[in-house]
Amino acid sequence: MTYLNVSEVTLSFGGLNALSDVNMEIEEGFITSIIGPNGAGKTSMLNCISGFYHPTYGQITYQGKNLTHASPHEVSNMGIARAFQNLELFRGLSVLDNLLLARHIKLKYNFLQALIFWGKASKVEAENRKFVEEVIDFMELEPYRKSLVGNLSYGVQKKVEVARALTLEPDLLLLDEPMAGMNLEEKEDIVRFIMDIQKERKVTVVLVEHDLGVVMDISDRIHVLDFGQLIGSGTPQEVSSNPKVIEAYIGNE
Amino acid sequence: MAANRWLATGNFFTTYQEEQRTFITSLDRLIFSLFLIVLFIWPIFFSVSRTYMLVVDNILVAVIAVLGLNLVTGFAGLISIGHAAFMGVGAYTIASFSRILGDSHIIITHFWPLLIFIAGVAGAITGAIVGLPSLRLKHLYLAIATLSFQMIFEWAIKFLTFFNQGQTISVGRVVWFTGEVGRNDHYIFWYYVALVIIVLFGFVVSNLFKTRYGRALVAVRDNDRAADAMGMHPGFTKVYAFALSGFLAGVAGAVHAFLYKGAGIESFTLHHSITYLAMAIVGGLGTLNGSFWGPAAIEILNLQVEKFSEYAGNYLPSAMNLATALRPFTFGLVIVLFLMFEPRGIANWWRIAKSYTKTWPFRY
Repeated sequence: MTYLNVSEVTLSFGGLNALSDVNMEIEEGFITSIIGPNGAGKTSMLNCISGFYHPTYGQITYQGKNLTHASPHEVSNMGIARAFQNLELFRGLSVLDNLLLARHIKLKYNFLQALIFWGKASKVEAENRKFVEEVIDFMELEPYRKSLVGNLSYGVQKKVEVARALTLEPDLLLLDEPMAGMNLEEKEDIVRFIMDIQKERKVTVVLVEHDLGVVMDISDRIHVLDFGQLIGSGTPQEVSSNPKVIEAYIGNE
Repeated sequence: MAANRWLATGNFFTTYQEEQRTFITSLDRLIFSLFLIVLFIWPIFFSVSRTYMLVVDNILVAVIAVLGLNLVTGFAGLISIGHAAFMGVGAYTIASFSRILGDSHIIITHFWPLLIFIAGVAGAITGAIVGLPSLRLKHLYLAIATLSFQMIFEWAIKFLTFFNQGQTISVGRVVWFTGEVGRNDHYIFWYYVALVIIVLFGFVVSNLFKTRYGRALVAVRDNDRAADAMGMHPGFTKVYAFALSGFLAGVAGAVHAFLYKGAGIESFTLHHSITYLAMAIVGGLGTLNGSFWGPAAIEILNLQVEKFSEYAGNYLPSAMNLATALRPFTFGLVIVLFLMFEPRGIANWWRIAKSYTKTWPFRY
């Protein structure tokens, strides 16, 4: 049984095929990257997996469960978390509250206990806070704990976005261009975090990224999309020597 | 460990459970308790005329209603223009009991706290049903859906003979341990009832926002796409917000019905819905204490305007209808001024005052 299996997925908007007949397998415990030129359908692929889009044809299964038609909250209940490309944070809240919100599905107390907030709810919330603090620690967000997300710099907001996905305690983490618009130093930070997430937290990572240098360095598997079609997949070495991939990126004579 | 529990300086926590406290410093708690005690005992020392006591009662009923409106509009970000209708559902629940059983039946006179609760539940159910369009609609379109509920409610009450076609349906006086609440004690008695309800709801709502049930509301307001990715069902969260707000509105309506010893459609019109919305805006949307400032400010403003127009009427006999003209005028002016200059409402002034006293005598 494959971990995440995307089979024959086609996604069309009217006459335009954003994805056509894409097959890919994502293996457990690896960092898998999806790359491709602009408009290749990378984010559409991620949206299909996380339930924001539903494929027109084809099927997506995760650990044997079919999530082709699952909505985003059902997908995240299955243990798949996602960080957005265009920051989708709760801007009016502090970093801490953003992360606490991501714990929504993990908190086990009922409405009445919440109203009284004595005993169980209070205890669960305290444990929950402890977990969130661990994530804050892990992502080195301590200085920003209480500041409003909307006031933070872009680089930090990107980090919060990743941290929030991580707070969901996922098995599979989908990162949509976590390094876009960052400087070299910030990129190195994020790369370090991604590798730590995979190694220390045993989370499978799917990465959509433009920076080929980073992708080639850290990925175990790479899938290349171009105009909605899968043109190559395999290890970084295989992909970088694939003539189709070279053609898509550099063009032919 | 020598944490200073009295001032904000030097006050630190060693466990996460300590940080969940409602009052950060003991001074806060002391001031709050004193304030509560004052609220409970002042009617014993000052006898206020029935007219003014009614104004105070009106403020308290409005506080309960605006607390509910703030949950749905302030915290969950869903504009509701039908809040008076939800109150009406509560009031007419009481009125229906009175209609069926007679206005002084033992259930009404003795089991009125239960009736208030039932009215709240009725409000919550109606709220959930009216909130159903929020599964599909957003922003202004949803506001129009709530407006249509207001219209349907008014129409239904006016045309159904069971509800006396909008004419007042009387509700009898209630009985307390000391016997029937008479004419002289009536307003003071309901002052205490409303006060207890407000204190209860105030604590419950502030607790709610420490838990996932409260945070979910704020999540769908700020970004419902992200809320969806966090594992919440954004649609049901919105329906739940409407139900919560409907419960508080229903309770407010029930207290209103008992306070006025009857329910009539003239207290639950569109005009009232907009007034509650204005109270929420003036008090400060999305803040708990804004729900207390707003109603107080608007009701006191109303009172002052009435007084002024009465006074001015002595000198301007030709402008006999000054009061009717001046009230909507000042009301509109206040809303416009607040939206322009202080969109965060009076609650923001309170926040500034608090942060000033916290750092006093230092300026930073």
